[in-house]
Amino acid sequence: MPPKQILVIDDENDIREVAKLTLQLTENWNVWTANGGAAGTAFALSNEPDAILLDVMMPDMDGPSTLRVLQQQGVTRSIPVIFLTAKVQAADRQKFLQLGVRGIISKPFDPLTLGQQIRAMLAWE
Amino acid sequence: MTIRLTHSIRGKLTGIIMVTSGTAVLLACAGFIASGLLNFRTRLIADLSTFSHVIGFDSIHALQSGDRQMEREVLNALRAKQSIIAAGVYNLRGEAIARYEPHREITIPSTVLADGVYDRGGHVELFTPILLGQRRLGTMYVAADARDRNARLRQYFQIAGGILLLSLLTAFVLAARLQGRISEPIVELARVAALVSKDKSFTVRVRQPLVNEGDEIGNLITGFNNMLAELEQRDRELVRYQTELETTVAQRTAELTAANEELLVAKNSAEKAAAVNAQLARESALILNSATDGIFGVDLQGEPTFLNPAGVRMLGRTLDELRGASIHKLIHHSDAAGNPMPEEGCPMGEALRRGDPYAGANDTFWRPDASTFPVEYSATTMFHEAGNKAGAVLLFRDITERRAIERLKSEFVSTVSHELRTPLTSIRGALGLLSSGLLGTVAEKGQRMLEIAVTNTDRLVRLINDILDLERIESGKVELTRGTVDAQSVMDQAREGLQSMADQARVRIVAEPMSASLWGDSDRIIQMLTNLLGNAIKFSPRDTTVTLSGIAGATEFTFCVADEGRGIPDEKLDSIFQRFSQVDASDSRNRGGSGLGLAICQSIVTAHGGRIWAEKNKPIGTRFQFTIPLAVRPAVEPQAVTPTGAGPSVLIVEDDTDLARVMATALQRRGLQTFQTASGKEAIRLCHQHEPALIVLDLGLSDLDGFGVVDSLRQSPASSNVALLVYSAIDVGSADQSRLRLGRTEFLTKSRCSFGDFEELVVRLLEAAETTKDSEHAA
Repeated sequence: MPPKQILVIDDENDIREVAKLTLQLTENWNVWTANGGAAGTAFALSNEPDAILLDVMMPDMDGPSTLRVLQQQGVTRSIPVIFLTAKVQAADRQKFLQLGVRGIISKPFDPLTLGQQIRAMLAWE
Repeated sequence: MTIRLTHSIRGKLTGIIMVTSGTAVLLACAGFIASGLLNFRTRLIADLSTFSHVIGFDSIHALQSGDRQMEREVLNALRAKQSIIAAGVYNLRGEAIARYEPHREITIPSTVLADGVYDRGGHVELFTPILLGQRRLGTMYVAADARDRNARLRQYFQIAGGILLLSLLTAFVLAARLQGRISEPIVELARVAALVSKDKSFTVRVRQPLVNEGDEIGNLITGFNNMLAELEQRDRELVRYQTELETTVAQRTAELTAANEELLVAKNSAEKAAAVNAQLARESALILNSATDGIFGVDLQGEPTFLNPAGVRMLGRTLDELRGASIHKLIHHSDAAGNPMPEEGCPMGEALRRGDPYAGANDTFWRPDASTFPVEYSATTMFHEAGNKAGAVLLFRDITERRAIERLKSEFVSTVSHELRTPLTSIRGALGLLSSGLLGTVAEKGQRMLEIAVTNTDRLVRLINDILDLERIESGKVELTRGTVDAQSVMDQAREGLQSMADQARVRIVAEPMSASLWGDSDRIIQMLTNLLGNAIKFSPRDTTVTLSGIAGATEFTFCVADEGRGIPDEKLDSIFQRFSQVDASDSRNRGGSGLGLAICQSIVTAHGGRIWAEKNKPIGTRFQFTIPLAVRPAVEPQAVTPTGAGPSVLIVEDDTDLARVMATALQRRGLQTFQTASGKEAIRLCHQHEPALIVLDLGLSDLDGFGVVDSLRQSPASSNVALLVYSAIDVGSADQSRLRLGRTEFLTKSRCSFGDFEELVVRLLEAAETTKDSEHAA
């Protein structure tokens, strides 16, 4: 079984790097990163990753807008999206869930359990 | 005859008797004299007449014969009768044929008068006819001396005078002796009366003579004495009254004097008080005028009585413009979003009307130009000095600026929280990877340092989370999602969440079974229990027990988390609920806490309308307790909560349980899942729990009415689009229809449709809802 292709969209370089390293080391997934929603959607359209970790608060194009773009494209519509967000309030989570994301992981995350959380949300294995 | 009144009564009595008896004697004498005189004349005339006849008879012969001599002899026979002073015989021609005139000075008349008696010049004359048979022969004249009569008259008068004198004398003596019977008592009366009037003393009495007993004088005396007795009595009473009156007057005078002095003192102090009052009034006016809060007063009838300048400025209305209209309609008619607020039951209006204290924090006042400002106010009762209600006063403050500041603070906390979290994410991730050894091993001390860094990063994250949480709860940003909460369930969830932590700390958790239905936000209640349970585990020594328990009261449920730790000093039991409070230096920070857990608990419990407190646990440790209101109605019967049947689910909210059962059966026959409740609150909870495809809603419910249910369901995106069938007993007006809308909404009036209509409408609504869902998915 080929390794999972994961796309991490975040405007923070450090977070992209930590997340990429974490998932590579703990899960042996192929992790791609994109700086911002525009780059992310473009990558997703051409590469069709297995899942997308999407930051919510980003300049220019935030998480929900990016999600809407992804949902509007036939190619990317079925790619499961997980929000990775510093917004931890219950009301926010409720709102995000209604947008159609598969799960929400709050920042900061524990690198040792990040992969497990994603797998649980996407029902992998 | 008049009697002079000034004479003494004795004189008068004597006089009356004398006059009376004198008059009687006088009259008797007069009668006696008159009678004597009358007798005398009659006898004289009778004598004369007899003489006249005798002589006349004797002279018949002489007359017949004309013998004058013989005639004279006849007349001379009269000499024997001394009283006859003259006599004559006349023939038919009236010529005196014989004369008897012994006294020269007295002669017989020259002419014959008619027969009869004549009184003339002191003597009585008589002319009588001389008759022979029936034939008259001449006239006989006789005159007698009447002086004899006068002598007799004199004699009579002398006798009468004597009698008069004697009788007057007798009368006087008798009167003098007898008048005393009458006059003496009267004189005595007069004397006593004079004495009374002179001495002004009513103690004297009139002596009652025996002889007068029972007669008028006796009665008069008795009456007079009685009158005196009464007067004496009156006099005595008068004296007594007078004495009393004098005493009273003296007393009153003393009192008046005292009162007068008091009045003077009072007047002085009143003047001083008035001066102070005037000063106070000036100061009060100054305070009212310079206060930046609005101050608005109403009297007991709810009529505005004052409004200070700040109030005028804020409301954009003067006191006069507030008068005569409903305050609610002028300034409080709608909420900030413009939704009308009913005047009926408005707490501010009620507080002003009844004068009950009430405070409002999140309210809106309207100006005449339809602009608004957020307001915080408190209504309190005004009392007169005497303690009776004078009205109510509304103190209000424009909190626009504070709102702005709060918003800034809230945004700041939110932003800072996010901005801190971003670098922390990298730090935490990097440290996690390093300490995991996945990037290669480090020296033991280095490894230890990495673990310290990871632990403290986690703590920092918790701190940031808690600060944000606390800020949001306190600013009211987080609306509690209230519903019916099962006490056992939240307790179990909290316990499960911390079981591993307890195991690690080797602390035993004992949860006592409990059964109660609470009214609150289950997530928040779990958060509180988690906080308290986490604290208890943290501060519990190994092999001790943390006990979770709960007890239902009349209106609220009390949770209790008890540990067997070292306990909290008495003086800290209250202050530990403050932010970043710690019992001692070795505290929560060293144990990984944020220092905000209890403050958050307090905020949550306050938002629920409950209380939280800490107390000593016996024999050792601490008990944390908090209260949550009980649900008004206990949870409905279990079968209602579990949907029955298959297919799309329908929530039946109907307080008529029989009707609900009929509806449920009918819908199940059509292949639908149903669940039902009679409670509005329970309906909201069930709706969140089961997300039904359709709600059948009756408007009249026991606790929360249909409007309340719809309002609540609208708040949540999950339930705001659910299909709704309002199945009510009465027609719903168009205004109400606009309020009662969720997803696709229909209205049906029970009395206006058949049950079949109802079933068909349910099916149609469900189909429509399904189509909408599909189309949404397709989009």
